[in-house]
Amino acid sequence: MAGAIAASADGFLSRLQAQRLPAPLSAATAADTGLSAADLAGLFESQMTSRRLDLEARRLGAEKRGFYSIGSAGHEGNAAVASAFRLSDMAFLHYRSGAFYLERARKLPGETPVWNMALSFVASSEDPISGGRHKVIGSKPLFIPPQTSTIASHLPKAMGAAFSVALARTHKKPDAEMPLDAVVLCSFGDASANHSTAVGAVNAAAHTGYRGLPLPLVFVCEDNGIGISVKTPDGWIAASYGARPGLRYVYGDARDIIDAVRAAREAETFARKLRRPVFLHLRTVRLMGHAGSDLESGYRERGEIETEADQDPLLHTARRCVEAGVMSLEDAERLYDETGARVRRTMEAACTRPKLSTARAVTETLTASARGPRATLPGRMIRTAPDDARARREPQHMSRLISLTLAEQMEKDASVAVFGEDVGRKGGVYGATARLQQKFGPGRVFDTLLDEQSILGMAIGMAHNGFLPVPEIQFLAYVHNAEDQLRGEAASLSFFSKSQYTNPMVVRVAGLAYQKGFGGHFHNDNSVAVFRDIPGVVLGCPSSGAEAVRMMREAFRLAREERRIVIFLEPIALYGTKDLFDEGDGAMTAIFDGVEGRAPFGEVNAIGDGDDLAIVTYGNGAYLSQRAARTLKDKGVHARIIDLRWLAPLPVEAMIDAIGPRRHVLIVDECRKTGSPSEEILAAFADRGAPYIASRVTGADCFIPLGPAANEVLVSETDIVSAALKLISEPSQQAAE
Amino acid sequence: MKQSAVVIFPGRGVYGKDQLGYLARHHGDKADFIAGVDAWREAQGRESVSALDTAETYSAAKHASSVNASAIIYACALADFAAIDRERYDIAAVCGNSLGWYLTLAAGGALSPPNAIRLVDTMGALMEEKGVGGQIVYPFVDEDWRQSRAREKAVGDALHAGRTEGEAFLSIRLGGMAVLAGDEAGLAAMEKSLPKAEDRYPFRLARHAAFHTPLLSHVSAAAFDALGADLFTAPAMPMIDGRGAVWTPHATDLGALYQYTLGTQIVETYDFSKSVEVAVKEFAPDKLILAGPGATLGAPIAQELIRHRWLGLTSKTDFAALQKEDPFLLAMGREDQRNAVT
Repeated sequence: MAGAIAASADGFLSRLQAQRLPAPLSAATAADTGLSAADLAGLFESQMTSRRLDLEARRLGAEKRGFYSIGSAGHEGNAAVASAFRLSDMAFLHYRSGAFYLERARKLPGETPVWNMALSFVASSEDPISGGRHKVIGSKPLFIPPQTSTIASHLPKAMGAAFSVALARTHKKPDAEMPLDAVVLCSFGDASANHSTAVGAVNAAAHTGYRGLPLPLVFVCEDNGIGISVKTPDGWIAASYGARPGLRYVYGDARDIIDAVRAAREAETFARKLRRPVFLHLRTVRLMGHAGSDLESGYRERGEIETEADQDPLLHTARRCVEAGVMSLEDAERLYDETGARVRRTMEAACTRPKLSTARAVTETLTASARGPRATLPGRMIRTAPDDARARREPQHMSRLISLTLAEQMEKDASVAVFGEDVGRKGGVYGATARLQQKFGPGRVFDTLLDEQSILGMAIGMAHNGFLPVPEIQFLAYVHNAEDQLRGEAASLSFFSKSQYTNPMVVRVAGLAYQKGFGGHFHNDNSVAVFRDIPGVVLGCPSSGAEAVRMMREAFRLAREERRIVIFLEPIALYGTKDLFDEGDGAMTAIFDGVEGRAPFGEVNAIGDGDDLAIVTYGNGAYLSQRAARTLKDKGVHARIIDLRWLAPLPVEAMIDAIGPRRHVLIVDECRKTGSPSEEILAAFADRGAPYIASRVTGADCFIPLGPAANEVLVSETDIVSAALKLISEPSQQAAE
Repeated sequence: MKQSAVVIFPGRGVYGKDQLGYLARHHGDKADFIAGVDAWREAQGRESVSALDTAETYSAAKHASSVNASAIIYACALADFAAIDRERYDIAAVCGNSLGWYLTLAAGGALSPPNAIRLVDTMGALMEEKGVGGQIVYPFVDEDWRQSRAREKAVGDALHAGRTEGEAFLSIRLGGMAVLAGDEAGLAAMEKSLPKAEDRYPFRLARHAAFHTPLLSHVSAAAFDALGADLFTAPAMPMIDGRGAVWTPHATDLGALYQYTLGTQIVETYDFSKSVEVAVKEFAPDKLILAGPGATLGAPIAQELIRHRWLGLTSKTDFAALQKEDPFLLAMGREDQRNAVT
């Protein structure tokens, strides 16, 4: 078995020496595509170097000195794509893109791509892109954000980045990362093309193209016909993507570098000139198995492996070079030898470089606050915008205050863009984006199609280009189908790029329950676990109108100055709530112009100073607890309510300070008993050996049913009162024992 | 076993009185090569490099003049290159500093010997005739060759001062040294701005013009007039230029090489530091060989190695220790290291 792999691995050299070159795949010549002899040789060098890096990565892997062996062998035709596109065309690349990376690096003098790749393979902390955190193909100066995706989950952001190029052009955004005539690229394999993320992203792009909106985007599907061990049916990619409305399809055979250049140039010209999405389907082969650990002979016949190796793109390029008089086969062999020696020396040198050696060093790029704030330019309201002066001076409920805060931030910062389902003309299903489109135009406030992966991908891609996106997820339950866009993509960007790339954003999510039985589970979801364990992500949840204003300002500050990803969870039940205790008291409303300052991240909001009991809570729980506290007061129990505001990372220090000397602590957690903030709060108490007598009331481990039954699985005021009275009856000495 | 090496060529100012007789001392076996250079020089009515080399005394006015220094350094360096024992060393790539770029082109095979002396001599004469402005040197590392933020800031401040008063540019990034260039007003302002360091800096380079700055764009234009695009041929080995770009044997666009050599590098900063960085990172050679004459470029090379912690080096002291034990940088202009190369 090892012999088959070895034969495949050495296949290029042995065939070259035996002068076993494959038959031509296309009649076009280098001259037909305008490639000079130097261009062709340069492409060949990139291809050879990529192959040598793969071989060396496997050697080091076998010696347990290298840590990644998924290679680019067979896909080296993607060098043609790099050659056809500009350096500043942002490229979101899959893991078989070694030759693309090397070829693009040739466009920027002074780059050290072989060294950088070598550092990456051996996980050195000097790897300039990830600092030893992952083998990624990426580079800040080469406009290649690093991807760790294995399943095309980087496609939605590529779509978003391309959309933002068009948007920046429309708005003459002077501080965009990419030039206004850039084209965005993303690559993936034929197996990944079946993933729902890929399907969704291609659909979103086609939808955009079909509507006639500009989207300079090229999907590069590198079709090697197999996904690990499972074959793609013949013709499937062309059949699936060859005739999509709004999407141009271009085919090329990337085994033949000339045909790959022809096809890539056609795609490039179309996407750049017409600003429409293109699906570039490139035929490739996969050599040397899926990865170093993959025994290809276990699922492929030897003959098939050899037939694939006969179609090695390096052999095709060698033939092209000989035909064009660029070099002889002997020259090619010499060059391959020299390249091999050079790459081996570089890899050996890379092995001596330092690695990450402490958890602190590993985690320091989870956030990018050290980079300092992003520059902002003031945003302009359009001249015919409705005047909100009166609205700002009168008491408003939470959703209206959110809309006013968004307007404030959009005026302060021209890079802020609000989008999501129904946020535009309708102003959001609960009015939280009301009148924003009238004020700032459809370029900064717009409706998206109904796909959360696309919405979050749009946000990530826009943030790559200098926008500060504010995507809305219409209901918390809808985020779950798209969580990887936050978890795997947005949140990991700073980590895997040494904070060189960031995608700060404020993700607004309408959620939580208490909608009086209306809507059932999907509109009353009360599980926030999905956001709480993602390193670096901030989760905030306001409990009143004024709190929403102050916390949202802080969310924007965190995004702008610390480049954080902030999830702003808006309790739907409180959107329109005006009164706290009695009808007409208006305690849940606020006058926008009267709400000053921010609610700093890490600080809690202590309400009342009752000595008997601390109630730690958030969101609807804060509303219910304040009402329960009034009842408790009547019973002689005096409580302090601590509204946490920030649920991740949990403001433990501020919470402990606010609890102060109180011994009894009741946690009111409106989410499910399992996996919700109350668990972490209790764990924090235990970790610190805090001398509290603590208990909690939580929602049930259940989905929220329709109608009055909803109340049976949610925390009620009565539950809080009962739990508080029970807790307070426990002798406080117990804690000291 | 053969070792790999990147060969580095020096720039102007390395043929001093100690180098007098260098050609005669080391290269008696290369009579044909030297005769070719001499023939070109004599045909131009200029003193032959043999005559310059065997002069009884060193004269700065003569030996350090642009038109003479370029030619004699070229002859010495290329003769050194030819003297490298190819049984011991595989040459992975070549690079150089400033004038060293022309020598790189010659060694790399992008210039035939007649075209090489033609380019070197033509540029030397053009610089002598049309060169304006000057250069000063100032370190931006400390005396132990470690990063010094204070000195980096001083260089930045000096450039600002120079630009306020006249013309001022970063001419060469030379390892831990900044070579600054400008017109007289700019130079004077920079000299005034820079705090005195190590008893000799800022140091004005005699007989140097404002190389690698836009002040020499007329020299670039004259060079294009004087030399045709057919000057170059495909190189035989990778050459690293003053931006860190690598020109490889088959993938070199000769038109682009012509534009770079007579255009870009004459009027833009020559980033020798980047050349060294690319040399060690992209070619990871077993040794760096510094061609003679002289060995003064060794310090900037070492400073650049230290900047990248290459071979674990963190200071001048580290470098000295390494060189004593098992030298990584072999300077052919030093008798004690030359034997390890030839």
